[in-house]
Amino acid sequence: MNEVLVRSGGLYTTVQDAGRDGHYAIGMPPSGAMDRYSFTIANLLTGNPGSTAALEATYLGPELEFTDSRTVAVTGANSSVTINGASAPMWTSLRVGPGDVLGFGPLKTGARPYVAISGGLDVPEYLNSRSTYKLTGIGGFGGRALAEGDRVPLGRAQDAPAEGTTVPEEFLPEFPDVVELRLVVGLCSYRLTENALNSFFDTTWKVTKDADRIGYRLRGGTIDFVERQQPFGAGSDPANVVDLGYPIGSVQIPGGNEPIILLNDAVTGGGYATVGTVVSADRDRIAQTGTGGYVRFNATDVDSAVQARQDRDAWLHKLRTVLSG
Amino acid sequence: MAETTVRLPEARYEFGGDEFVFVELDREMSLQANFKAMAITGALRDRELEGVVDICPSNASYLIRLDPGKLHPTELVEELRRLEHSVGELDGNRVVSTRIVDVPVLFDDPWTKETLLRFRDNHQDPNVTDLEYAARINGFSTVEELIEAIGSAPFIVTMLGFVPGLPFCYQMVPRERQIEVPKYVRPRTDTPERAFGYGGAFAVVYPVRGAGGYQLFGIAPAPVFDGTQSLPDFHDRIAFPQPSDILRYRPIDRAEYDHVRSEVEAGTFHYRIREVEFSPTAFLENPDSVNRDLLEELYR
Amino acid sequence: MSTMNAQLPGVFYRRPSPEQAPFIEEGGTVEPGQLVALIEVMKTFNEVKADRSGIISKFLLGDGDEVEAGQGIVEVDEA
Repeated sequence: MNEVLVRSGGLYTTVQDAGRDGHYAIGMPPSGAMDRYSFTIANLLTGNPGSTAALEATYLGPELEFTDSRTVAVTGANSSVTINGASAPMWTSLRVGPGDVLGFGPLKTGARPYVAISGGLDVPEYLNSRSTYKLTGIGGFGGRALAEGDRVPLGRAQDAPAEGTTVPEEFLPEFPDVVELRLVVGLCSYRLTENALNSFFDTTWKVTKDADRIGYRLRGGTIDFVERQQPFGAGSDPANVVDLGYPIGSVQIPGGNEPIILLNDAVTGGGYATVGTVVSADRDRIAQTGTGGYVRFNATDVDSAVQARQDRDAWLHKLRTVLSG
Repeated sequence: MAETTVRLPEARYEFGGDEFVFVELDREMSLQANFKAMAITGALRDRELEGVVDICPSNASYLIRLDPGKLHPTELVEELRRLEHSVGELDGNRVVSTRIVDVPVLFDDPWTKETLLRFRDNHQDPNVTDLEYAARINGFSTVEELIEAIGSAPFIVTMLGFVPGLPFCYQMVPRERQIEVPKYVRPRTDTPERAFGYGGAFAVVYPVRGAGGYQLFGIAPAPVFDGTQSLPDFHDRIAFPQPSDILRYRPIDRAEYDHVRSEVEAGTFHYRIREVEFSPTAFLENPDSVNRDLLEELYR
Repeated sequence: MSTMNAQLPGVFYRRPSPEQAPFIEEGGTVEPGQLVALIEVMKTFNEVKADRSGIISKFLLGDGDEVEAGQGIVEVDEA
C-alpha cells in the first residue's frame, strides 16, 4: 500500500482537487482548491495532471512522512518549508524517499500552502471528485481535515519533471498588503443606495477571524439599504430578499456592516441580498488573504471577468510549456 | 383567489461574475413566479447546452452556473431571453409530472424545543416558544390551530439549496392563508438534523445539523439527505426532495415518530409517494379542489 | 530576552474563558510545551504553547486583541 503518513495535520489541511461540479442545484457547493493557480502549479511540478487531488493547508502546514520515493512540491502561501529539518525551496520539484519528512515553519505571506505529491492523493472519489466538503463530511480523507496518525493513500506516480525544476519568477503570485478584487456589480445591488455602493468600493475592508472555505466576513464600514416595504415572503430585515441562489464569489451584507464573500464550500442559496460577484480568477487571491489582511473591491464588467479567467488559464498553459521544455 | 391576479414584472438578467447568470422573475414570492422559473429551467435542461454546468430553479428566480470557457455568459442570457419568450408565459395546457409525498413531522418535539430554549436570546420573543410566537403573530388562538393549518394543505418544493438536500417549501394556499414568520433576530449556531423550520413564507427540513435562522416547529423522523445512499429512496440520488415535488407535512405523535425512526435505522423506511400530473393553471383557478384531489390520491 | 511570535492570525486570548484566570501571569515561569494563550480563528481556539523555557517578562497583546501571523505575542527572559 502506497501512502503518506500524517505526523501533524497543521491547522486545517484538506484533500482538494478541481471540485465537484454539477450538484449546485441540490445545494452542494463544488468545494475544490480555493487558489486554483497555486494548486495547478503544484501538480505540474510533480508530473500530475493539473486537477489531481493535492493538499490545501491553512496558515500552518502539515508534517508528512513519506513511505516511498516521490516527487513533491509546495506552492501557494509563502512558507518556510523543510525536508528532514533542512530548508527546502517552494515552487520547486523536490525528490523524497522512504522516511523523509516534509515540514512547515511559520508562514511569511499568503494564507494557504498547497502540497502536491506525484501520483496524487488516492482517496475514494465521491460524485466524481476527491474534494473534501466538511459540512456533510463527504469526499477527501473521511470528509474531514487531516489529523496526526492518518495514512493517506497515494496513486501511481507518473514521470515527474527533473528534481530542482523551478517555476520562473514571473509566474509567482504576489501577496500585496491590500488585495484588489475585481467585482461584477449586480444581482440585488438595487437594494443599496448610490452612496452605499460608492462607499463599498471606497472602503478598505479588513478580513475578520471568521474567514474560511465557506466564506470571508469583512469589517471596515457600514452600508445603507434603500428603504422599502419588504416584498411578500422576503422577511423583515432590509437585507432580506425572497430566498434565491447565491453565486460562488458573491458578496452579501447582512446587518449592513459586515460584508461576506461566499467561497468554495459556501451555502448555495438563502435570503440575503447579494450585491455583486468577485470574478472567478480573483478567488485565487482571496484564498491567499488571511484573517487580518485587507481587501478592496474594483468594479468590472462580465467581459473583463471572462477575460481575467482566460488570462489566468493562458498563463498556466504557458508555464506548462516552460516546465515541460 | 388573489394569486391568479399576480402579474409578473419583466425578468431581470444579472451576471454573477463570469461563472453565473442570475434571473429574477419577481421580487415577491408567488406560485406564478415559481411555476415560471420551473418552466424556463426545465426547457433549458431539455436544450442540453454545452457549457451549462448547473441549473438551479429558485423560489421566484433562478440561477445558472456555466463554464465561461465553453459558453459566454452574454450568449447564455440571449438564450434565456428566448426561452422566457417561448415558454415563460403560463400555458394553460401545461402539465407537470411530479410526485406527491407524505412527510411525517412530530411537532413540538423535545429535541427542537431543547435547541430553541437554548437560543432564546436570539429570538424576537424570548418568553414563548417558536410555535407559540408563530401562532400568535399569524392570528391563531392556539398552537394546535397553527399545526392543523400546516397539515391541512400540501407544500410545493420551490427551491433546493442552502445546504445539500434542503427543500424550500411554499404552502399551496392563497396568499391570505399563507403563514409568515420572521427569521431569528440572530441565527442560531445549532439546529438538530431533520428539524422542521419556518422562515418568511417557507417551510424547510434541515438535512444536517448546523447553523440556522428559521423558527423551529418540530422534527421529521425521516431524512431528506442521505450521503451514504443506504435508504431505498436515496439509491439514485443523495437528496430526496426535487423541485416541484408536492410534500404533505403530516402531524404525527411520538409513537409513530419512534416507529419511523426504527424503520430508518433498519434501512427499511421508504416515503409514501404517488406520481401525479399537476396542472399549474387548474391549481391557480381552484386550489382547494386540486389539493383535495392530490391528498386523496396520496392516501388512496 | 526573546520574543515568541504567533503562528496564526486571529483573536488572542490569555485565559480559557472570560471568567477564568489567565493561563500564566507576567513574571511566571514557563517550560517548553506549556500552554500560555489561545488564538481563535476559523471557529476554533488554537493553543499557543511555549517553545522555550524562561520567565514571562511581558505580554505584547491584551485579551481579545487581533493578532497577525508572525506578530510578537510575549517576551520571555530565557534562563
